[in-house]
Amino acid sequence: MDNTDRSLIDAHCRGDRMAFAELVRRYGGSVLGYLVRMSGSREQADDLFQETFKRVHEKAYMFRGTQFKSWLFTIATRVAIDNLRRRRRRLVSLSQAVDCADGTCEQLNTVAVTDGSCEPSAEVAMAEQKEQVRRAIEMLPARQRAALVLAYYQQLSYREVAEMLGCSIGAVKTQMSRALRTLAQRLPDISGEVK
Amino acid sequence: MKRHLTERELIEYRFKLVSDSRIEKAAEHLGQCGQCRKHLEKLVRRFAALDLLREEITVSDDLLRQVVEQAGQPVQRRIIPFRKSAWLSAAAAVLVVGLLLLLADNLSERVTKKPEFAKEPTGIEGEIKFEKDTEITRAERLDKGVPAMKTFAMAPSKEEMRVGKALGGAAASGVAGGEVQEQPPFAPASAIELVTLPRRENVQLTIYNSADLTLVRERRNLTLKKGWNWLQFMWANTLIDPTSLTLEPLEQKDKVEIEQLVFPARLRELGRWLIRSEISGQVPFEITYFTSGLAWRAFYMGTLAKDEKTMRLEGYVRVDNGSGEDYENAQTRLLVGTVHILDQIAELAKRQYPYDRPRGPISDELGGGRQYEWMDRDAILLGDIAQLAGSGIAGLHPKEIKKEGLSEYFLYTIEGTETIPDKWGKRLLSFEANDITVKSLYKYDEERWGRNTIRFVAFTNDEKHNLGQTPIPNGDVKIYSRADDAGYLSYVGGTSIKYIPVNEEVELNLGPARLVTVEPKLMDFKTENYLFDSKGNVSGWDEVQTWQIETTNTRILPIEVEITRGFETAYWQIKFGEKDISYEKYDVTHARFKLNLSPRSKKTFAYTVRTYHGEREQSLRESMTKETAK
Repeated sequence: MDNTDRSLIDAHCRGDRMAFAELVRRYGGSVLGYLVRMSGSREQADDLFQETFKRVHEKAYMFRGTQFKSWLFTIATRVAIDNLRRRRRRLVSLSQAVDCADGTCEQLNTVAVTDGSCEPSAEVAMAEQKEQVRRAIEMLPARQRAALVLAYYQQLSYREVAEMLGCSIGAVKTQMSRALRTLAQRLPDISGEVK
Repeated sequence: MKRHLTERELIEYRFKLVSDSRIEKAAEHLGQCGQCRKHLEKLVRRFAALDLLREEITVSDDLLRQVVEQAGQPVQRRIIPFRKSAWLSAAAAVLVVGLLLLLADNLSERVTKKPEFAKEPTGIEGEIKFEKDTEITRAERLDKGVPAMKTFAMAPSKEEMRVGKALGGAAASGVAGGEVQEQPPFAPASAIELVTLPRRENVQLTIYNSADLTLVRERRNLTLKKGWNWLQFMWANTLIDPTSLTLEPLEQKDKVEIEQLVFPARLRELGRWLIRSEISGQVPFEITYFTSGLAWRAFYMGTLAKDEKTMRLEGYVRVDNGSGEDYENAQTRLLVGTVHILDQIAELAKRQYPYDRPRGPISDELGGGRQYEWMDRDAILLGDIAQLAGSGIAGLHPKEIKKEGLSEYFLYTIEGTETIPDKWGKRLLSFEANDITVKSLYKYDEERWGRNTIRFVAFTNDEKHNLGQTPIPNGDVKIYSRADDAGYLSYVGGTSIKYIPVNEEVELNLGPARLVTVEPKLMDFKTENYLFDSKGNVSGWDEVQTWQIETTNTRILPIEVEITRGFETAYWQIKFGEKDISYEKYDVTHARFKLNLSPRSKKTFAYTVRTYHGEREQSLRESMTKETAK
């Protein structure tokens, strides 16, 4: 598979658009999933997704390794962390992450209840729990969040995560440990309570 | 291990964040300690919540297409040779310094030799003698490396080439004996030596939402030569309206003159400005044009406070660029309102010739030149691009300036600058306002919304409500409320708003409310007071209906409910059983009741409405006249 990635990137450098399309098709889902979890918003993730592949396109000739996926996620991580920093600078409210401009609220697991004081149905409770998880992850510092999303959701080994974040395995484990300890305080229990 | 494991140790064990030996020790302890096992189970259950976000996320076809499209341009290789080798950097620096010294020496020599510039009128200023245009075919252009994308390029004129040759090099450029040739060249000598000019210094976009129209003002520093300069503008693969192009020097205005803008025949998608300069060196220019393909839309997010008496409102705009051109660090202004445009810009951009195909035979009326009647066919849209009217082609009619429909608009300027590449969209925060006093209101009107109670949030766009700085453009608004002390938000409802002028109140319809209900019940119905005509037929009667309205508020907040009842006739009268209920006549056929309900309460009231039909209407009119007379 890696060899094919290499040949696809080479073909892309020669101007083969189909090769690039194949790369996007192959890794698009996992990259978008990663960016959605990093940014907390589907719309922002779409923008970051475009930015990631724009950089891949522009820097393709610089790719020398064999692990395209690692390289791709390294770029996606940089894009996502840059975005988080930018967002912090702009003093955007945390609630901005819920973007309903194009009616994607449901995809973003927004709690769609008419009033906060009503008895939530099972579906609404589930949505509420998802929202709490999303918010808990969103509150993590950027690198802790990146380590968690890559290791837990993308199911990459700590070694791979370290490569992508440009740090040691020990540093990744430290970030993971800190992130999980914070989450242990913030994640809802199976009953929906917050500790 | 005798002591209990800490939460940290349990997490590190669960996620294998420590060495194998420590994991083994922890496992051994867990095998013996029920309390730690329980603690671990609790943690595992808590972390299971993370799996709620594990759903599959797919890339939409649209997104995939956009990403692949943006990669349509060839990969640009950048060579960065000086990064790692210090000796290479040093050698390069020495080389650059040496070259600069050589250049400076050469320049100073040239300056001392150059006679002082003297502008002497020759009597032929402004008169143009047209020669046959130099034909540059597309193939030639490609051979000579003229870029296909929209770009600026400068070329020496025929005159410059001739004089330059005579003087033996590049020293002279449209100057003879230190004086600028007064007769403007008809066309550049060739496309050879076209030079791509520096990037934009800054760019300003004014995006008109009502039409597919954007005004672009960009500043570029052009390096001019003394004499005549040709500046070439190409708009291939973009949606730029070539008829709107203007160019203006921002400095040295007395020494730099834009003489004309020509759209050479047979050369598509390019225009050339002829610039007369009395100086050599860099001059900042402003280039203005219209383009289509840029659009923006507004949307808002309101967050109600827990008591729902105030709201935080955040406004966003999303700008989408499909113009075919990248705009880097652009100051972005958004125009709200309607503008009148004469042509669709996209259509103009696609024309083979900017002002349509040249027509008619070559005539000698204009100093032996061509017939330029086509030049004033299309009017230019705004006053600030009136440059073309005085573009220096003697004898041409000035352009008509249209300003219709531009009086009622408002301009939003987005703070700072934004880079909006082609085919990209960008969402920007446009404003934030805190503590906007809002009025929560529930409305019940069967004729409009059926049996639903509709929730509204109302506020005014004025300073009293921490708004009122600008009108609020139309867009979608989503309202959230603080659901608990932790600050979690609950989605309350959403709606579209229309343009809200300053000092105007707006009511946001947030959709049906589940926790506030209004239930009207018909308790009694009868007809009476029949009138008969001379033939014994019924000619008038009254209908008497008794209604009981039960309003329930299951919310933990006090609310106000507005109930509108219609009677399908203008002749009606209401009576109440209770005294504390009143109504207002909303219109000729409707009455409106207003109720205030405390939290988790119910209120029931009854009213009797008598409607008059046929000749009985007359009796109501008479009784009302009497009452008015009293």
